[in-house]
Amino acid sequence: MSTNVKAGLAQMLKGGVIMDVVNVEQAQIAERAGACAVMALERIPADMRASGQVCRMSDPQMIRDIMAAVSIPVMAKCRIGHFVEAQVLQQLGVDYIDESEVLTPADWSNHIEKENFKVPFVCGAKDLGEALRRIHEGAAMIRTKGEAGTGDISEAIKHVHQIKKEIREVLASAGNPDKIAELAQKYRVPESSLMDLIENKGKLPVVNFAAGGVATPSDAAICMQLGCDGVFVGSGIFKSNNPEKLAKAVVDAVTHYNDPQKILEASTDLGELMFGVSIDSIAAEKRLAGR
Amino acid sequence: MTTLSYTIGVLALQGAFREHLEHLQRAVAAADLAAYSFSLLEVKTPEQLAQCSALVVPGGESTSMSLIAERTGMLEPLREFVASKPAWGTCAGLILLASEIHNARPHQKALGGMDICVARNAFGRQLESFEEACDFSDFAPGVTAFKTVFIRAPVVSAVRKGADFVSVGPKKMHRPNVCSFQEGEKTLTSFDLVVKAECENTAPVEVLHSLPNGLVVAVRQGNKLGTSFHPELADDCSFHHWFVKEFVVGH
Repeated sequence: MSTNVKAGLAQMLKGGVIMDVVNVEQAQIAERAGACAVMALERIPADMRASGQVCRMSDPQMIRDIMAAVSIPVMAKCRIGHFVEAQVLQQLGVDYIDESEVLTPADWSNHIEKENFKVPFVCGAKDLGEALRRIHEGAAMIRTKGEAGTGDISEAIKHVHQIKKEIREVLASAGNPDKIAELAQKYRVPESSLMDLIENKGKLPVVNFAAGGVATPSDAAICMQLGCDGVFVGSGIFKSNNPEKLAKAVVDAVTHYNDPQKILEASTDLGELMFGVSIDSIAAEKRLAGR
Repeated sequence: MTTLSYTIGVLALQGAFREHLEHLQRAVAAADLAAYSFSLLEVKTPEQLAQCSALVVPGGESTSMSLIAERTGMLEPLREFVASKPAWGTCAGLILLASEIHNARPHQKALGGMDICVARNAFGRQLESFEEACDFSDFAPGVTAFKTVFIRAPVVSAVRKGADFVSVGPKKMHRPNVCSFQEGEKTLTSFDLVVKAECENTAPVEVLHSLPNGLVVAVRQGNKLGTSFHPELADDCSFHHWFVKEFVVGH
């Protein structure tokens, strides 16, 4: 399937919110709130993080039930490098696969060769090298890794800035073949990936969403103001006291991300939000983004 | 002599609105439009909509756009706008512009700018999305071999002719992505659900383009245009240029 068709669906999701859901009821709440897609998974990242267990692809029946209950696109996660889980999800007919660091990686040295699949993939990235490697493997959409299941937005913001900074560095290297070769080696990507980036004036060839730690309307809006194309919300919504209201508020904040009055209205009276786990309190080796 | 000026808005509640704005930017720079002045506007509020002389409703998720429009007080202003002014809907935008939505969701609304039935997700899920080179030169001069994508696309399944809707295209070709919902005790499928809106458009509906299998993917009704595909994702802006000439400046 052509890149245009795979990346095209991600373009249709722009300016929208993709919500993690664990059952049909949550999927319907997300759809009614105006989510542009849902991510079907057995446990939201906050619970996976707490479980300390091996986290795998969800039971297809649970994903199938969600596909039958909503009309917005349904995404599902497979483990990094687990190309058979990906084959199963493609066979099931999901609209997007997230090769996700939130699940326990199945292969610590190789990602899935995503080019070979008909179904499009989204992958996490915390820097430009990761983003370009995933795109080179065939990812049709990128998201920041952030730190899933924490409700701490700082890692997602760090990754957005990191990618932007590195893109500026690549652009500044235009016309300097030695520097380009050096960067290509550093990022472990072909030089052509960098040349394409320069030709596109620093615009990545696929959309880039924010993910990992989004818990409030303002969290979503800050990612949009920093240039992200849309937002994934994982644990934030269904770990809050009033998911229905918060889900709508996050959607409205993404539509009106540049309008402080609208974000003020969206932020008001939401009840108790998700608990937070500050990134400082998580040892480096326990952070999912390192995967 | 004063220069005629137009403000073309792109509805920016959700979806691929920037792509439309970029294509329009290139399209209005064409030499044959140099006699006019254009401004382009992202439209999120009734105040922004009020400035527009024409509106593009982009692709995205039709349910998301409808819900956001309703919550943010945009639904009625949009209905009033499309009742008179030029508008073009692509994919989800085509769904919104219709007077009848088939395979609908209970919470979505139609704007009723065109007196047509649109069937959502008529080809199925993302695995059935495709790209096709289409020859649109029958209606858009010079737009030949236009490579365009159909993403979980809708089709036009019927159009108003006099007092009745007349089916167009082969219904048996529809392979919809059907989902179910509860209504009281009953479980209904989206196939049972038709969402309707009042439509004041009395111009004749023209079928502009059908795929080789007969499915109708482009229609016009007066100053309204509906396409189930995405010219805003193509490399060239010739389709947008035709829209501006034919619908914005031409009206």
